[in-house]
Amino acid sequence: MSKVVEVSPTTRHEGHTKLVLKVNDEGIIERGDWLSLTPVRGIEKLAIGKSMHQAPKISSRVCGICPIAHTLAGIEAMEGSIGCEIPDDAYLLRIILQCANRLSSHALHNILSLPDMYLPGTDTHINPFTSEEPVRSVALRIQRLREIGQTVGEIVGGEPIRPSNPRIGGMYKNITPRAKSKLFDLAKEGSELAREHMEFMITVFKDWENRQTASVASGYEVEKNDKFGFHDQGYMAVDPLYASSNLDAEPMWFPERWTEVRPWDWYMGEQEITLDDPNYPNHATTPAGNKAWPQMEACTAVPMYDGQPIEVGPRARLAKFRNYDKKGAMGLQIARQMEYPDCLYSMIEAIDAIDTSGSVIADEIPQGDGSLGWAANEAPRGTDVHLAKVKDGRVQWYSLLVPTTWNFPVCSRALEGAPWQLAEVIVRAYDPCVSCATHMMVVDEEKKVVAQKLIQ
Amino acid sequence: MVLGNYKSVISARAADAEILKRSQDGGIVTQLFAYALEEGIIDGAIVAGPGDEPWKPEPVVATTRAELLAARGTRYTISPNMMLIKEATRSYGLDKVGIVGTPCQMQALRKAQLYPMAMRKVPDKIALAIGIFCMENFPYQGLEAIVEDHCNVKMESADKMDIGKGKFSVYTERGAISQIPLKATHKYEQPGCHVCLDYVANLADVSTGSVGSPDGWSTVFVRTKNGENVWSKAIDAGYFETKDIASVKPGLDLVTKLATDKIDKNKKSVEARATFGVNKGLRNPYI
Repeated sequence: MSKVVEVSPTTRHEGHTKLVLKVNDEGIIERGDWLSLTPVRGIEKLAIGKSMHQAPKISSRVCGICPIAHTLAGIEAMEGSIGCEIPDDAYLLRIILQCANRLSSHALHNILSLPDMYLPGTDTHINPFTSEEPVRSVALRIQRLREIGQTVGEIVGGEPIRPSNPRIGGMYKNITPRAKSKLFDLAKEGSELAREHMEFMITVFKDWENRQTASVASGYEVEKNDKFGFHDQGYMAVDPLYASSNLDAEPMWFPERWTEVRPWDWYMGEQEITLDDPNYPNHATTPAGNKAWPQMEACTAVPMYDGQPIEVGPRARLAKFRNYDKKGAMGLQIARQMEYPDCLYSMIEAIDAIDTSGSVIADEIPQGDGSLGWAANEAPRGTDVHLAKVKDGRVQWYSLLVPTTWNFPVCSRALEGAPWQLAEVIVRAYDPCVSCATHMMVVDEEKKVVAQKLIQ
Repeated sequence: MVLGNYKSVISARAADAEILKRSQDGGIVTQLFAYALEEGIIDGAIVAGPGDEPWKPEPVVATTRAELLAARGTRYTISPNMMLIKEATRSYGLDKVGIVGTPCQMQALRKAQLYPMAMRKVPDKIALAIGIFCMENFPYQGLEAIVEDHCNVKMESADKMDIGKGKFSVYTERGAISQIPLKATHKYEQPGCHVCLDYVANLADVSTGSVGSPDGWSTVFVRTKNGENVWSKAIDAGYFETKDIASVKPGLDLVTKLATDKIDKNKKSVEARATFGVNKGLRNPYI
């Protein structure tokens, strides 16, 4: 006889979500729904009619952890639509910016994941806020890595949160030679720290994987399953580091393979909560007797690639481009750590290549004829696809397919077979960014979906 | 308190003859920035460099002595120096920023340091703020009208402009001098200057201006701990010639008088705003 338990809200990730879990008598998840409750802001609809310069700056406000991904994907989708090629030095600045964002985002996510993990070889959960060693120096190292990422973003992007430097046709400003050497120093320092840090984090995740039991944060221990966080949904990635767009000679993403359905078609129907746990860490689970209706409550659409939900993110990138084959939640966590060095080496290479007196803005910026452009940016959390149609400098149509939107249904499948008490560990492995993911969807007072057709 | 808080006041001029050659007065700003740049106290300074039209300044981030020298001389029109304060810490990659500005620009700077609204990482990167005395400023068209119409001098021919002793003077490259009474320039003043209650850049680290000291010399207020530190090092290193302010004419009395005049006059216009309309007034940024 299966029961339904609900964890709401979930913690230690960006945004607002909940888990509605159908579990068997042993507490093993038979069917799990992880869904966004973040209010829809409707960026895509309100962008219509605005200038192509403004829309990406608005979409960067989707999220403050990965604003760089949205700025770059937005701008490059516009550039894709109007057919504007940017100068090499602008491209290099964007690459550095991309690396800076990935560095600080991955480091931030370490802080969110560590409390679930144990000091290797012990039964002590890691509390990143403790002043005790060895955790203290790990926390300081994470802070420094983030500081490096943010400072680099500040110099090349104008601002690490909502970068001001990127613009349609390139960048507003090139950097000075002084700034270039400052970037170099920061990246060199970062690459050393990142290597140390990656090794530490991988040790921690492997230690967790090898344990027989585990708990969420400081909760009570339950037995883990063998295939913790496994799913069979496949991977999607367009580049190991940066992006692909319709202007590429060989585009790596294909709009015709993408379809989108409503949560209605994917999530569970109305459920009554029949299992609760007042001792669940941080706060109790939803009391029994309450109702949950994932189909109606989910605030994201469900994008599909070749008719299936698909995983995006660090593991997808490594699986596509580096033959990485480790599955499960820890496979994903470890893949994320493995991106640290690449991110810093790419940064150093790009800094090296940049000509500080080169032009960073295209000579000509066409105004567009309404044709479809898209850009897929490999955001820290995966492929962030923006699609746009620009005519006479105005946005006619704009759509965002954001990494966590792709991951929502995949992660829901990955929950199956896990003890429900550890569901959040699987969710966190995806480094969810829910305000990013929350899509255009209109629901009226009677909770009827008004705008069922999301795209015209 | 019309002269603000200060640790010391002195009459001084730069020891460097090359700086003095085209400086407005004693070359204090250029010399102090040049010294700070050489010593690594700053790694760049925001100054009013040459713009695309004659006598129209353009804020620049100067990181060389040559760029500092190019910014010598007073341009009696708006130069939005604070425009670059954030960019200096961004694409320019500066860690220790110097900035020169009028009293209002020093206010903007200190406000940005204390209340950094969208001024991330700016507050701790300000290394040296030099303020210049300012009675009022003119929009560029106003300056053009004064110079070309009232003084009858082509902007391109003007070599130096100066306000002093109740007159607006323009010196040409060919040696002519054209002067008009300051009264004729009043209508061209920027209206925003009429609510300004600061004459001698009270909020700067070091502030300097011509009033109080003889021609070719400047009056210098050393105000903050940071300012005192930089200034005393520069003096020790022989970068400035100095005179006791008490020994020069017209001295601090004139500075005090002009500061009092400015503040009193502008206080009245601030107060008048409260009852500008019938049963309603205009905004007062000081309350």
